[in-house]
Amino acid sequence: MTDLLQQVVEGLGSGAVYASLALALVLIYRFTGIVNFAQGELAMLSTYVAWQLVASGMPFWLALPVTLAVSFAGGMLVERIVIRPVQGAPELTVVIVTVGLFIFVNALAGLIWSFTVKDFPQPFPDGGLDLAGVRVDWSALGIIGVVAVVMGLLYLLFQHTSTGLVMRAVAGNPASARLSGIRVGRVLMLGWGLAATVGAVSGVLVAPVLFLEPNMMGGVLIYAFAAATLGGFDSPVGAVVGGLFVGVAETLTGAYVGVIGADLKVGVPLVIILAVLLVRPQGLFGRAAVERA
Amino acid sequence: MNTITTALGTDRARRPRAALTVLLTAAVAVGAPFYLAPFQVFQLTMVLLYAVALAGLNLLVGFGGQISLGHGAFFAAGAYTTAVMLDRYDTGHLATLPVAAAGCFLLGLGFGVPALRLRGLYLALVTLSFAVFLPPLLKRLEPVTGGSMGLTVDKLQPPAWSGLAEDQWMYFVVLAVTAVALLLARNLLRSRVGRALLAVRDNESAAEVMGVRLSLHKTLAFAWSAMFAGVAGCLYTWVIGFVSPDSFSFVLSITLLAGLVVGGLGSLYGPLLGAAFVMYVPSVSQDLSEAAPGVVFGLLIITVMFVAPTGLAGLPGRVLGAVARRLPRTTTTRAPIPEAAPAPDAEPESRAESGPPVTLTPADPAVVDAEPVGAPPRTEKE
Amino acid sequence: MSEPTTDRTEAEASEASAEAEFLRVSGLHAGYGQARVLQGLDFTVARGEVCAILGPNGAGKTTTLRALSGMVRGRGSVTLNGSELLGRSPEQAARLGVAHVPEGRGTFNDLTVEENLRIGAHLRTGLGRRSRGERAAVAADLERIYDHFPKLRQRSRQAAGSLSGGEQQMLAIGRALMLRPSLLLLDEPSLGLAPLVTRELFEIVRAVNEEERTTVVVVEQNAQLALDIAHRAHVLEAGRLVLSGPAAQIREDGQVAEVYLGVSVHTRKAG
Repeated sequence: MTDLLQQVVEGLGSGAVYASLALALVLIYRFTGIVNFAQGELAMLSTYVAWQLVASGMPFWLALPVTLAVSFAGGMLVERIVIRPVQGAPELTVVIVTVGLFIFVNALAGLIWSFTVKDFPQPFPDGGLDLAGVRVDWSALGIIGVVAVVMGLLYLLFQHTSTGLVMRAVAGNPASARLSGIRVGRVLMLGWGLAATVGAVSGVLVAPVLFLEPNMMGGVLIYAFAAATLGGFDSPVGAVVGGLFVGVAETLTGAYVGVIGADLKVGVPLVIILAVLLVRPQGLFGRAAVERA
Repeated sequence: MNTITTALGTDRARRPRAALTVLLTAAVAVGAPFYLAPFQVFQLTMVLLYAVALAGLNLLVGFGGQISLGHGAFFAAGAYTTAVMLDRYDTGHLATLPVAAAGCFLLGLGFGVPALRLRGLYLALVTLSFAVFLPPLLKRLEPVTGGSMGLTVDKLQPPAWSGLAEDQWMYFVVLAVTAVALLLARNLLRSRVGRALLAVRDNESAAEVMGVRLSLHKTLAFAWSAMFAGVAGCLYTWVIGFVSPDSFSFVLSITLLAGLVVGGLGSLYGPLLGAAFVMYVPSVSQDLSEAAPGVVFGLLIITVMFVAPTGLAGLPGRVLGAVARRLPRTTTTRAPIPEAAPAPDAEPESRAESGPPVTLTPADPAVVDAEPVGAPPRTEKE
Repeated sequence: MSEPTTDRTEAEASEASAEAEFLRVSGLHAGYGQARVLQGLDFTVARGEVCAILGPNGAGKTTTLRALSGMVRGRGSVTLNGSELLGRSPEQAARLGVAHVPEGRGTFNDLTVEENLRIGAHLRTGLGRRSRGERAAVAADLERIYDHFPKLRQRSRQAAGSLSGGEQQMLAIGRALMLRPSLLLLDEPSLGLAPLVTRELFEIVRAVNEEERTTVVVVEQNAQLALDIAHRAHVLEAGRLVLSGPAAQIREDGQVAEVYLGVSVHTRKAG
């Protein structure tokens, strides 16, 4: 039993990482209606920025906010330069653009920092708690805590600030927002900046574990997609719940389903995505689309 | 949307010119391996076999309107089937082609059925997840696939009577198969299947009302496109002589799709252009650094999408169209007025209204002024 | 000696004509892509006037409003109190005091009623403009809207998506009014609503017009309702203006109404 709980705790830890990247995906989807296949790579790039700052002598606790600010600016830039020109284009065009962005960012990181694996500072202390025989690492707690804080901040932003209200209006009905004088373009930039920042958080959280290299986020992306699909692509709450579920499912499957084992765990997101899309496409918390047959 | 019909129409209308073009192309194609270095011939061979895969993907995406981010899986299936047959069962190369083709056709049928229930982005997600899952699966099935080490098999060897070098022989074989495949693709499009696909792509509800059996044709689209990818994979094994799980990562799948779209979705020549793009852009920039190919490739993909969303093959058509529109119109009620700046012509940044994305969409239809010329076919219409 | 008088008369005259041509549309051509919908419209609306735009389906009524608010591009000229509207984006048009209530209401369904209304006042309370006085004015306006539409006050914390069609229409109009617009554009407010509800709505619009002197342009299929509150009316057909005149005149001219509006105005219900 303690072994099971142990696995669950580990699953929650990785699930929190998936949740944070899924959050970024959901933010983008709510604001611009697209699935950003390059979200993981952008997060990876942010993580490299953090690494570079630390490697150049900046203390970690300072490098972090600087990285977040840089990521915010980067996200705004991506919206303005890469996404805005294809706003309203057919879905496939936009998908290809984000795929191109994926390839570009991935290679860019390799170009600047090479493909050798780098160590990333672990912000959380080693060791952990012992709760009734179950070992809970500080790092797992830390990750979950950070994601919880991010969720809380997002909630405050969207529900209790006028900026958040404007953002929600744009996400809900951009045409009407325009008619009320809202500069929708600027709000979209804000949304992308925000998503990039959340993505940066997920990158920084996972780098100590997965080790920093350009292909670091590729695997995480699939799990984040599964999380967002499960929770509903237009639901931030769903992203988090979905992420935690996917994390736990992955860990338990890897540990207990012998035929899957650790190497085929990556089949778990596939199964989850398939199951959700065939049974309840809008996910747990998403809104059902109107089927105009 | 008009690219393909225009192309077909053009063919019929300008027979002699088309015939001449074909002859010239054939001459160049046949003559090339005698004038180029072996490595260049090899590159051309690779372009041809990627073109086969892209022609199949074109059927699915360009004409069927379904996004697949996992076609590398079918490519891998064909490649591995061929490798296993050569390695374990010692069949000749020739026998592997129909087996790979048939096997992948059936595989595609199998995929096509659940794909029916998935639209647009959802299908993209599922196919991507599968593409990610495949390499570990291949590694796990070690007894059959040779695990991470992969399988090494004999490359296609020229028979003594041909007097050709290895690279030349492979080139001609692949050229022959590619020509047959592209012809087959063209005929499929002109057949009932193709026309049904076009009808479905352009207006699903209308097509259904008119009796087009959606499920059948969408599934067939998957099957055919999988078959083409499988054949390409088979050729890959013949040419390279080595398969391993890491050769078929999801990067292959997204590269294939990106290459197709850049080359020109829904056009006859798009697959060829796209294959050339996929082959040459990375290799040219490889001289700069290991990572440079990706940087250039990614940037080019994005740029092409901005400038020519119908892909490079559609560019001439768009240019001609834009020129035609700028000519003065003659209407009976008004004197001809050249289009003034604020008139709602297509501008580089404004695009057609997208078909509604899969679920609730915050997509912005606020400014309704862009022209749908030059838009790639809509992926899925509600 | 007589010059100052002449100046003043001239000034009065020009002011009077500015009032009469508060909204001036000249040679308006607009459409979607290659489809030309409006074929050269010319009309003016005086300040404080309620102007009805009528006509059959597809005549271009909605396109006209969209051209005014910047949702659709066009050629020609549209000036509001002297400033050129044509070619501006909807955001800019809103800044010039144009409030457009689109066809289908355009409410923010995920936001509460009150949040919807607050968004309407966005331009007055945007970042940097958070003066005490302005916030108080917005709060006062909110109360006034609730006075006009008591049902909205009841449901102020409910999500807009859960409101009935009529209530959503009220909300949309209320949101537009929160802008303190100088020009209010209403697109088919009666669409999908019960007669009693629409009558109520139109009465409120009339009241707003009388109290605040807001200029209103209303597009309606239901000619009768619109003519009841309008001062002037214009009839569109196939993108052209075919008839203009005082609302009363158009209303009484039953033949005209039947030909262009497909409506028998004679059979008006009492009350």
